[in-house]
Amino acid sequence: MSTPGETAGETVDSAREMLPDNSFLIQYPHVSRVVRSLFLTAFVAFGIGAFMGVLQALHRTGVARLVDSADYYTLLTLHGVLLVIVFTIFFLAGVFAWANTRSLDRPPVSKRFTWFWVATMSVGTAMAGIAILAGLIPSTDISADVLFTFYAPLQAHPIFYIGLAVFIIGTWLAGIDWFRQYLAWRRENAGERIPLQSFMVLTTMLMWFIATMGVAVEVVVFLIPWSLGIMPAPNPLLTRTLFWFFGHPVVYFWLMPAYLLWYTVLPKIAGGRLFSDPLARVVFVLFLLLSTPVGIHHQYVDPGIAEGFKFIAMTNTMFLLLPSLLTAFTVVASIEHGARQRGGTGYFGWLKALPWRDPAFTGMALAGLMFAAGGFSGMINAGMNINYLVHNTIWVPGHFHLTVGTAVALTFMAASYWLVPRITGRKLYSRPIGLFQVVLWFIGMVFMSAAMHRGGLAGIPRRTAEPQYPQVTFETVAGSVSSLRLQLAFGGVLLFVSALLFLMNVGLTAMNNKPARNLDSALPPALSGPDQSPTVLDNLKLWALIAVVLVILAYSLPLYSIVQGAGLYPAGQEASPAVIAPLLEVIA
Amino acid sequence: MTATEAEAETDSAVVGEETYADGTLVRDPDIEESLSQDEYDPKGTLALLLVYFLILALMWTYMYFVEFLGNGATVIG
Ligand code: HEM
Ligand SMILES: [Cu+2]
Repeated sequence: MSTPGETAGETVDSAREMLPDNSFLIQYPHVSRVVRSLFLTAFVAFGIGAFMGVLQALHRTGVARLVDSADYYTLLTLHGVLLVIVFTIFFLAGVFAWANTRSLDRPPVSKRFTWFWVATMSVGTAMAGIAILAGLIPSTDISADVLFTFYAPLQAHPIFYIGLAVFIIGTWLAGIDWFRQYLAWRRENAGERIPLQSFMVLTTMLMWFIATMGVAVEVVVFLIPWSLGIMPAPNPLLTRTLFWFFGHPVVYFWLMPAYLLWYTVLPKIAGGRLFSDPLARVVFVLFLLLSTPVGIHHQYVDPGIAEGFKFIAMTNTMFLLLPSLLTAFTVVASIEHGARQRGGTGYFGWLKALPWRDPAFTGMALAGLMFAAGGFSGMINAGMNINYLVHNTIWVPGHFHLTVGTAVALTFMAASYWLVPRITGRKLYSRPIGLFQVVLWFIGMVFMSAAMHRGGLAGIPRRTAEPQYPQVTFETVAGSVSSLRLQLAFGGVLLFVSALLFLMNVGLTAMNNKPARNLDSALPPALSGPDQSPTVLDNLKLWALIAVVLVILAYSLPLYSIVQGAGLYPAGQEASPAVIAPLLEVIA
Repeated sequence: MTATEAEAETDSAVVGEETYADGTLVRDPDIEESLSQDEYDPKGTLALLLVYFLILALMWTYMYFVEFLGNGATVIG
């Protein structure tokens, strides 16, 4: 993996001379390299994923069918896996490596260990990616058209599952690295409050350790032995439940790094200070506690899970709204603080005093706005009864393109405009292009997501190459289905153009010969600091323990009854590609 | 760095000669003032959140018409 910043020796040197001694790149050149390498993988995955996205948007709307419909699931798997597993997790690993080091003010304990987890994550990704791509080459019998939700009875080649397992292990090692870094700090700073960014990294990783237990069991105990032909097909409901045990908290694994950026970086960019450090800590603790025991809300229509368990999951989910609403308050109040310090006045007039010309600010602000809209459709999804209306329709992708696809992805792009100069020492190539790009993403998403939501209400299914059926007419609430299709495709094209502009801008920044200047990496202190909060907030062991107990309470009975119901390996269960392949031949 | 983050109420040097993000947007000390916690009342945030809750309530009402009046009854269980 090449590291862009190190290629043109002279420029980097001159660039670095201009940087203040306290800048991150000067203090931690090694961590900066690690972050660059993680970002590079993230951006490559983002580019390929976005390309698949526009292909899908054009294909399923019938605007342009550039691939065979039989290959649609390969593209869709690639899109899902590359964007929500590779892009997001590599990028957040970079953010965490930066944030933990910056806030603890010390490097990781061992350089070799750090590179070891980077390599582990990368090898796992390559294996899974190759397995998916091989699905496009019929002469190989390798494929992994199982979508990013990869549960049975869809079956992938073992290399896909093994790659996933290796990747997950890589993320665990990363977490261990950040904990070791923290413990080393703790030895020298007994009795001090955990610096805020580090606190956020650690609580997120604790959540991740718990969440990935589900997927680890699913993949290692069931899917790998099954795909190798050693064991029979597992109970699909069991693998679904184990998947969603992980599948909901992974949402917060994407979101919490975005929150980290909103809480700690955004106030600075807005010229203000974080409103409340204790509130930020409370939010992260709530996520640690509540992220996992809600996964069953993805299974409201699964037969075989009692309604009572679904009801508990729904109740937990509604509680989970709390930290997000707290975040809305704290983050907006911090931005407003910046606006008022810079002369803003009135109930709404202060909005004019914000640095809207800065793509880092505008991108994050628009991402937050989209998240507020996603909050609405999320509340619809979360309701057990109203979920029936939208389940498995294109509404659902409409929802998560607002959340992970914009709140997270656009925040990451915006943060890149701020962070990439800090880890390369190079000046951002173009601020106006950056600004145009983040606004374009927002507009593209308004079109695509609105069309998806409305199409879903009309009953148009998701995960479908050709959702056009002669026997069925979809009835929309307002507007025609063909106009919805055009809006979806148009939005998809805008998004793709925006993604290309982003990649170009970041790529040219990495090669920019102009040095970055004034890259101060200190963040202003919170208005209300941590010493006004109870120290129990920093008791990570306690929170982790409670989180585990909540998970056991939420999952032991449902899992028990699933295993009691159909057993671990129900007879007559078959892998799905065996069924799907001949079926596609009939259609084609 | 750790100190600035972990300690409360260090008002020093929060507003000053500093530039944003990529160094292009320079702060203007003439119009800037430092607002401490006591002086700051986030009424704009309150206004925005009220608008948001209003929109949520309207959208929910709209969903009610789509779900219950637009379709037949949904069977649960
Ligand atoms: C260029 C921008 C993008 C476009 C045009 C796009 C388009 C689409 C479309 C049309 C679908 C629905 C396919 C179907 O159900 O038949 C889809 C699914 C999906 N998208 Fe995107 N998307 C984009 C960016 C993103 C981003 C940034 C993320 C997340 C970070 C994302 C995550 C997903 C996921 C997880 C699915 C569901 C895959 C599945 O059903 O297995 N997309 N996308
Ligand atoms: Cu969920």
